[in-house]
Amino acid sequence: MSVRPTQTLHPAAWIVWATCAGFVAFVTTDPVYLVLLIAVSWFVHASNRATTASDRSFRVFLIAGLVALVLRTSLAFLGAVVPSIGAVTSATIAFAFLEGLRLATILVVFGTFNAVTDPFGLVRMAPRRFHEPALAAALALSIAPRTIASVGDVREAQRLRGLPVSGLRSLPSLAVPVLERGMEEASTLAESMDARGHGRGRRSRYRPQRWSVAAIAVAATAVVAAAAFLSASIAGWGGLHPATAPIAWPQGDPRLLVAIALLATPGFLRTDGAP
Amino acid sequence: MRRRLAATLLVTAALLVVAMPAASGGAAACAAATGPHAALVVDTGSRSTAYCVALDAPTVTGIHLIQLAGAQHGLTYGLGFGGQAVCRLQGVGPAGDDCFADHPNFWGYWHGDGHGGLERWTWASTGAASTTVGSGDVEGWAWGAGDSPATHPMPPRVGIDAVCAPEAEPTPTPTPSTPPSTPPSVGSASGAQSRPASSAASASPTPRARSATPTPDDPSSSPMVQIVAAGPPPTPPAHGGVPPGVAIAAALAIVFVGAGLVRARGRKDVER
Repeated sequence: MSVRPTQTLHPAAWIVWATCAGFVAFVTTDPVYLVLLIAVSWFVHASNRATTASDRSFRVFLIAGLVALVLRTSLAFLGAVVPSIGAVTSATIAFAFLEGLRLATILVVFGTFNAVTDPFGLVRMAPRRFHEPALAAALALSIAPRTIASVGDVREAQRLRGLPVSGLRSLPSLAVPVLERGMEEASTLAESMDARGHGRGRRSRYRPQRWSVAAIAVAATAVVAAAAFLSASIAGWGGLHPATAPIAWPQGDPRLLVAIALLATPGFLRTDGAP
Repeated sequence: MRRRLAATLLVTAALLVVAMPAASGGAAACAAATGPHAALVVDTGSRSTAYCVALDAPTVTGIHLIQLAGAQHGLTYGLGFGGQAVCRLQGVGPAGDDCFADHPNFWGYWHGDGHGGLERWTWASTGAASTTVGSGDVEGWAWGAGDSPATHPMPPRVGIDAVCAPEAEPTPTPTPSTPPSTPPSVGSASGAQSRPASSAASASPTPRARSATPTPDDPSSSPMVQIVAAGPPPTPPAHGGVPPGVAIAAALAIVFVGAGLVRARGRKDVER
């Protein structure tokens, strides 16, 4: 665990941001909105990422998104193999591509959320009754970024020692230290939490995080963005699902473009304290 | 260096996504009057239209027949469930991907089972994406409620000959001559059933559109059907370039990616 920057956003503000951005990606298959949302996520990530290690987490989720996009699109070609599914037309391919793009966008938003916030900061906010489920959720959420970070560290150390770091043969020598480190981190975490009184029905109020103006601004703009898309989804304006048969130009409603731009608020606030 | 490459790739991908529809926009229809033809009857409940559609293969799917009718006659349509089902024809039906959004109303799918004479419609048992339509077949779509063939509205009874055959033959002169076997009365396209300018089909400049009672021997059961024969394909709707919203979005996305790159580089310098 690296040292956190002094001034961070309240974790709940990040939860609100990620939920709203994920909702926006969820309700539309319009590539105009989705690509813009990916660009906004990248901007937010570049401005707010917590450590260099979690930079990798964003990249991994970006790659996962690309894999999802390719898989979803190639599934559309299944119709050529399995006749009962139906014919492969440009419409089905375009539809599958847009669905995959939506999935990729959700993954990128999640990757941004992983990179900018500390999951253990979230545990502190959970009500006492839900503390243990929240802890389990935080551990589960943080496993991917922590593993990615330790893989990167181990590889860097091996490279410095002149060991081969690519190829199948280097896999065992990579896996052992990563697993070892995972165990060590888990026991360190358990000890430190025990020392702070977790799991015994009492909790310290050590340095409670306050809702700063920046955090309120981030949460509020994100809610506005999600509300705009919710109203578009219910009332059917804004062209959230562009026609794929025949393929037509997707429409970018200016109001919804502004809504997505609002999600870039944490990027402008630069809450990490970096100059 | 790698960052710059990544940025270039990202921008290229964005542009590709944005430019995707332009590439496949103008699929010019082959309106050859020879070759395989099938009839497509669309009944919105208030108006019936029959299209003579030239097939681009010996057999096509029911979905592709609709796409061909769209390309050749300007039939507007919307597919759903991943392009497997028909949601919307001539502006009637749900606009989204859920074709049963307006249930109990939906587009019922019927097959004609006769050649030449009046069609007896049979309720389609499979989806339009997995049916085969050959030359001389008649396909019918009727909007309405009812989940079974007994309760769902049926398209008007139209024969393939009334829709397609005689006029689909190439004629030496550009003006089509009406062969004596064609029963319909020519030239009353703006009759009671057709509403001009309300759909692309009736607004398209097909000179041979005509209204017909399909066969003279059974006029009572056959409402007026506007027949759109194989004609020159209507000019595709003009692509007015990139919609402004798309251009704004692309510019915004590039600005955000660029600002992110600047931020990332600035932080890297700070961390060193």
